[in-house]
Amino acid sequence: MKRLLFAILALTLILSACAPAVTATTAPVIKDGLGRSVSLPGPAKKVISLAPSNTEILYAIGAGAQVIGRDDFSDYPEEAKKLPTVGGSMGKFNYEVIAKLQPDLVLASALNTPEQIKALEDLKLTVFVLANPTVLDGMYANLTTVGALTGHAEDAKKLVANLQARHKKVADALANVKDRPKVFYELDATQPTKPFTAGANTFIDLLITLAGGSNIGASLKGDFPQISQEELLVQNPDVILLGDAAYGTTPEQVAKRAGWNTLKAVKNNQVFGVDDNLVSRPGPRLIDGLEAIAKQLHPEIGPALAATKAP
Amino acid sequence: MLEVQSLSVAYGSRAVLKNISFDLPPGNILAVIGPNGAGKTTLIRALTGITPLSAGQIFVHGRRLNQLSVAERARWIAVVPQARNLPPAFSAWETVLLGRTPHLNWLGQVSEKDEAITRQAMARTQTLELAARPVGELSGGEQQRLLLARALAQAAPILLLDEPTSHLDLQFQLTLLDQVRSLANEEKLSVLVVLHDLNLAARYADRVALLVQGEVRALGPTRDVLTPELLSPVYHVPLEILRGGPGNLPYIIPALR
Amino acid sequence: MNPARPYLIVAALLAAALLLSVGVGSVFIPPLVLLQVIAAQFSGQPLPPDITPAFATILFDLRLPRTVLVALTGAALAGSGAGYQGLFRNPLADPYLIGVASGAGLGAVIAMSIHWPYTDFTLLAVPLSAFAGALLTVSVVYMLARVGRTVPTTNLILAGVAVSSFATALTSFLMISSTGDLRRAIVWLLGGSTLTGWQPVIALLPYVIGGLGALLTMGHALNVLQFGDEQAQQLGLPVERSRRLIILAATLTTTAAVAFSGIIGFAGLVVPHLVRLLWGSDYRRLLPVSMIGGAAFLLLADVLARVVMAPQELPVGIITAMAGAPFFLWILRRSKQQNYW
Repeated sequence: MKRLLFAILALTLILSACAPAVTATTAPVIKDGLGRSVSLPGPAKKVISLAPSNTEILYAIGAGAQVIGRDDFSDYPEEAKKLPTVGGSMGKFNYEVIAKLQPDLVLASALNTPEQIKALEDLKLTVFVLANPTVLDGMYANLTTVGALTGHAEDAKKLVANLQARHKKVADALANVKDRPKVFYELDATQPTKPFTAGANTFIDLLITLAGGSNIGASLKGDFPQISQEELLVQNPDVILLGDAAYGTTPEQVAKRAGWNTLKAVKNNQVFGVDDNLVSRPGPRLIDGLEAIAKQLHPEIGPALAATKAP
Repeated sequence: MLEVQSLSVAYGSRAVLKNISFDLPPGNILAVIGPNGAGKTTLIRALTGITPLSAGQIFVHGRRLNQLSVAERARWIAVVPQARNLPPAFSAWETVLLGRTPHLNWLGQVSEKDEAITRQAMARTQTLELAARPVGELSGGEQQRLLLARALAQAAPILLLDEPTSHLDLQFQLTLLDQVRSLANEEKLSVLVVLHDLNLAARYADRVALLVQGEVRALGPTRDVLTPELLSPVYHVPLEILRGGPGNLPYIIPALR
Repeated sequence: MNPARPYLIVAALLAAALLLSVGVGSVFIPPLVLLQVIAAQFSGQPLPPDITPAFATILFDLRLPRTVLVALTGAALAGSGAGYQGLFRNPLADPYLIGVASGAGLGAVIAMSIHWPYTDFTLLAVPLSAFAGALLTVSVVYMLARVGRTVPTTNLILAGVAVSSFATALTSFLMISSTGDLRRAIVWLLGGSTLTGWQPVIALLPYVIGGLGALLTMGHALNVLQFGDEQAQQLGLPVERSRRLIILAATLTTTAAVAFSGIIGFAGLVVPHLVRLLWGSDYRRLLPVSMIGGAAFLLLADVLARVVMAPQELPVGIITAMAGAPFFLWILRRSKQQNYW
């Protein structure tokens, strides 16, 4: 009898020692971008991403295999395109498809409206809203958060370290560069007399500055203001970056616009297309964007940067 | 029985009707005549309570008009307006049936009695055969008779007609007024009819009121009011009265120059 | 014509539309399975194991409440539309004539420009603001149009156009000044429910029942009003009181519908017009038949909005507008032939 009791006690002790191992991977309660307290019983295994930046983040930290659905606009990386889409264009999500996929985590962003968040909550789904970062540290924090949510905390940490190292490389390479060219970032020039550009509170502005340039849009009011052609001529930027290159705008077209051929940037062939996704999606590819712009503004640092390759 | 005492209507500072008094006993037809702008239509509006009075009183069977509810007024006074802009999609029957409104509850529920009265009103005005047809398809004369039927369906003892013959050709002018005359005689209705045509007034009215610039310049039996002395200055046309023909009725014509 | 016939026809249409709306969606649920899910819910039994539990969620949390919401909205818009057309004696009058749409739009966009914290209360901000905006706008229009104790129809229309233009201009200004919420505003303005679940249905229900119920009692009054205010009064109808009640009921109903479903055009215009062409202008019949027909119409449009570009979903206002265009061309053709409205 005593031996039986002792055996039971020993078994209980052993089992209780094992128990923490089972609960060790529980994600704690995290506050999301809307201030909502979100908790998951374990790392999310079936994630639906509602924004392209979220999709990129998920794949970058190695959680790609756990993603079961994406919004219409997620197009990077290639594997993401094969996932079933859940809507997002026309401003509406397909709640039926989302319900059918039965995700254990829906990763939303600041792009999603409160009505959409509420609708997902009403379906008894766990929704986490990633806040929109305004500085690189905010983006790193999001990587860490998503890592915690999906059980890839270590991978996220490594990624952040890597990105910070690349950033440092750019900063070091620019340390001795004296000039700071004036940059005009064109978002949309369907009206060439009043093109849209990026203002002061945007990542575009931040990256241009970190890349050793000066964004002329920063002096205008608002996040995505229009600049008049006259103001553009007065500012006479050294470099023009075409964020609308994906819609077919080319340096040749720009040169043909009335009055634009007098701009310094046009005359010196300093008009370059940019992959807008690299600078507007708040994900790890922002560093790619930083490197790309730095090389366009200061071609001389190219070799120094080439020593580091993007993962 | 309608009694009007010192009725005045003003739009702002502009006096449109001044100090009008008359009464309408049952079985009596009073024709209101006068040049354009004299205020004839305003008078009808005032008598039905649509235009507020600036002075005076209207008594319906001894009770003040402005103390009656809108529905009560409609049970006492029925109006035959000019047949203009009638909703074309309503059928003749539906139109006349609406005359029963002041007797219906607020949901407009119609009883057999209402339908019987409507039928009777249409029979009296020879409009029963038009019953199923949409009003928009009817001629001006038919529409006018329909409005008379509607007013009859209202079963009100006082009948006001606002230039009911303006758009009718001769045959229908006479038919309509013949019906009004017989209604006045048989049902003892008190009738006030605004007329443009002096000869129609001469033929059908018991009394005539001459309305000039808002005032009643003359009121009395037909032959007393329809005289060249009273009428020529008002119409600025020298007039002659001829007598003759059946009933020795007076005929008023402009004098030959 | 058998007096029951119009009712039977639109009721049949409504039944078909309800079935379609519940049965159709971006996820295909076989009809047999649907019945099993419904049976399980009502009998309290658990679902058979071979049926995905997500189907129950889709049916009871998405499709059913949406169906009811759309049906209520369609009835509200068509019923108020019929009321407005009777009141203004104009077949082109629609519920938005005196400022409901522009006011609601302005209210909604104002609410969307403010970044509320995410709480249960602030989620009501947009519908509440739209509701308030609409009522405020209509009140302004009403006061501008008033002359003494009457509100002449012409004045109402003129004031409605003036105030609506102003509200729309303000709304457009707010929209282009916004940084991120432009699309959210556009989606709302194009119409279609952005809210899911039973809450909007419960919130909308009292307005629709109260407002449409009041309107239904005004059928006779609307008939009399077709002869003009003067003749209506001479026939014994208390004109101002009737008009006030009709405006109040129709406006309140429309405002509530718009607050939850955005601005859906043409439903309040096309349905009453069609009903009038088929079964006449007696408002005692036109009002209820329009309401039922309106529910069916909007349900069908909503189904189309879900399937025509599946799996994407169009705003339902686009479908109704596309139905409106050929409809009015057809009316134009008839009117040329008959010279009759």
